[in-house]
Amino acid sequence: MGKITSFLQPEDQAANAAMLQRGHVIQAVENRDGLDAIRDLAAHAAARHLGVSPPNDPERFLNGIGEHVDATTLNDLRISVINALRSEDWFRPTYFSLAREALFKIVGNEIAMQRGVGLSVQLPNDDSSLLPVHADTWDGDSPYEVVVWVPLVDCFRTKAMYLLTPDKQTAHLKTMASNNSAETFFKSIEDDVEYISIDYGNVLIFRLDLPHGNRVNTETEARWSMNCRFKSVLTPFADKQLGEFFEPIIIRPATKVGMTYELPGGFGGAGQ
Amino acid sequence: MIDRHGYRGYIGSRAYFGQRAPQHVQNLVIRDYCQRNGFTYLLSATEYAMEDCFMILEDVINEALKLEGVVFYTLNMLPRDKARRYEICSAFLDAGCTIHGAVENACAKSLEEYENLENLWSVRRLSEQADTIIQQLAATPEFLS
Repeated sequence: MGKITSFLQPEDQAANAAMLQRGHVIQAVENRDGLDAIRDLAAHAAARHLGVSPPNDPERFLNGIGEHVDATTLNDLRISVINALRSEDWFRPTYFSLAREALFKIVGNEIAMQRGVGLSVQLPNDDSSLLPVHADTWDGDSPYEVVVWVPLVDCFRTKAMYLLTPDKQTAHLKTMASNNSAETFFKSIEDDVEYISIDYGNVLIFRLDLPHGNRVNTETEARWSMNCRFKSVLTPFADKQLGEFFEPIIIRPATKVGMTYELPGGFGGAGQ
Repeated sequence: MIDRHGYRGYIGSRAYFGQRAPQHVQNLVIRDYCQRNGFTYLLSATEYAMEDCFMILEDVINEALKLEGVVFYTLNMLPRDKARRYEICSAFLDAGCTIHGAVENACAKSLEEYENLENLWSVRRLSEQADTIIQQLAATPEFLS
């Protein structure tokens, strides 16, 4: 390698620029077989819940889930599917493997992971399960976290989530308190949000301090996406604490030594 | 005839009267309250963390005509200001949306019943003030001798 002039590799600098300037990164998942296994399990669990045959084409089945459920029965289906995923001991390590190297560049290589991966299902034209505009830092998360957001189907236009771009964040937050409701605040930022188009097979990592959410999905297909928060183990936690919400998944040996190290004691006794 | 469906949960990440509960625990308490009362539980709205901010609750008020009720994790989440508290609760009740406190196992279906919730609030506030008085007394030994 010879002499170099920067501590950061080009890929580190690219990650810095993407997160600080655009607020997000989209890349191909680092474990495609793992993603397919997650999607197939989700589709099979949904079929089992509905009492229909396991689908030959999981993506088509998930996109068309609105043929089987409506807004009143959707949440039971969602809970059934997420319980099926969470019951598999390979699920969380596999989820992490979808963006492992990217997380090392963005949050560090000693990592805490959200204990319960979230699942969102948004039927076409359903306004009953929308996430209003929010930054996770307003919901008890610390700004040291990022969200790893994984679509199980292609997401685009209103089938996707939106994110306020970082360059517009400061100005909008200055006037936020003058809005009466979350909806009026959304109207005030609507022109500056970006709907994040992302195809199945890719992962989105975004800053949770940036206002984001979703609107009524006016596409003809349902959105299925998973979300999970990651942070460096040794950065501050907010309301969502280690243990109840986060679990350390990687702690390096030097940290393990340091956490248990004690200086020799016994000085200052009678023999001194 | 308005087509109403379900009871919207309402949770938050602030401490209320010095007490906090993880959000998943708040949701469990609300879900249990709904199950015991035969209510259809709708995913909870999560209030912003900023003190005295009720922007998410305002969104819930705006959908109140479509709801059967709103279930607060605890009624302590209501604004500390009495007039603001009344304004919010009467907005729900005027829209025909009942108000519930899951921790308190209490509800109001009318402004008359809201008075009972307001009494709960007043006693809670009084007990907070009493705690402060007791702490002040404890820090002043001459009053205790």
